[in-house]
Amino acid sequence: MNDSEFQDLLEESWRRPLTEEEQMQLNAWLATRPEARAAWEEDAALNRSLQNLPDAPLSSNFTALVMQAVQRQALPTPRTHSTVRLRLWWRRLSWGVACATVAISAVWVGLQQHHHNNELRAREVATGLAVLANVTTLSDPAVLSDFDAIQRLSLTSDDDEELYAVLNN
Amino acid sequence: MFTSPDPDAHLMLRVKQGDAAAFEELVDKYKQPVMNFVYRTLPDATEAEDLAQHVFLQVFKSAHRYEAAAKFSTWLFTIARNLCLNEIRRRIRHPADSLDETYPDDDRPIRQPQETRNFSPPDSLLHAELEGKVEEALAALPEKQRTAILMCRGDEHSYEDIAKILGCSVSATKSLIHRGRETLKEKLKPYLRTGAWKA
Repeated sequence: MNDSEFQDLLEESWRRPLTEEEQMQLNAWLATRPEARAAWEEDAALNRSLQNLPDAPLSSNFTALVMQAVQRQALPTPRTHSTVRLRLWWRRLSWGVACATVAISAVWVGLQQHHHNNELRAREVATGLAVLANVTTLSDPAVLSDFDAIQRLSLTSDDDEELYAVLNN
Repeated sequence: MFTSPDPDAHLMLRVKQGDAAAFEELVDKYKQPVMNFVYRTLPDATEAEDLAQHVFLQVFKSAHRYEAAAKFSTWLFTIARNLCLNEIRRRIRHPADSLDETYPDDDRPIRQPQETRNFSPPDSLLHAELEGKVEEALAALPEKQRTAILMCRGDEHSYEDIAKILGCSVSATKSLIHRGRETLKEKLKPYLRTGAWKA
């Protein structure tokens, strides 16, 4: 036996009494390691004390009391069990339907918003095109090249009218 | 077809089908081991028995969740340990009655001081004293060490079973047991050395 096997045997002794064969192996091991014998015997003494702990006090009608409590809870019949499963299934289905509804609603709202935005954009483009169409009725751009002339277009003095006449010529 | 080697698993499957006799058989078989475990967690015999009854009631209410692949005793003691832990936490949040309080009709204190606890039949006072020392030492251990050592008694649970009950690895379980035992040996050294424990 080596140290590891001794440790395994020790751990088994915590759970149950050793077999005769195991005890013989142990004695042979301890014979070669006398320093370990005192520790082993202390361990074995603790094993005995733990094994010999008395049973806790228990009422003689303990089982009857438990069964009475169980009767109050009602025995689980296969039908009751099925009802519980049906309820769980229905709860899961309802939850799934609710999530699907939320998802579909979100997608529909998003599509509606997208369509609306597209309409707005189209109207803006149409308005812009209408403005551009009106641009053709404006004056010849060459008139606007003379800045002074432009500035004085709004003036009403005689001098300016004279200037205006000159420019038109 | 169900082929588990655990006979208790077969009984539990019958309980799932509503078999009261199967449940009663399980209660009869495990009432003492469960009570032994709960009693060493709660300091009062009456409260411990109430909790032990709740353990079986919980087993019954959770029957539909029992998986046949799991060993029944492992499942049972996992429930027992969880209920004990819940009770401990509840008592921490809501401290129990004062030690000075007495029953309404006489002067007996509601809670017996721990040093006067008697775990043995009255006709065995010497054993009661020695056993009391072991009980006190066990009660002083951290919960996981105490649970591991109690589960280790009597070859009822393998180390794998105990690890599942504690929710840790097998090596961690053995480590807990080792540390707990070292503490017990230290506290009980005078008794162990004199051989007072030898039957």
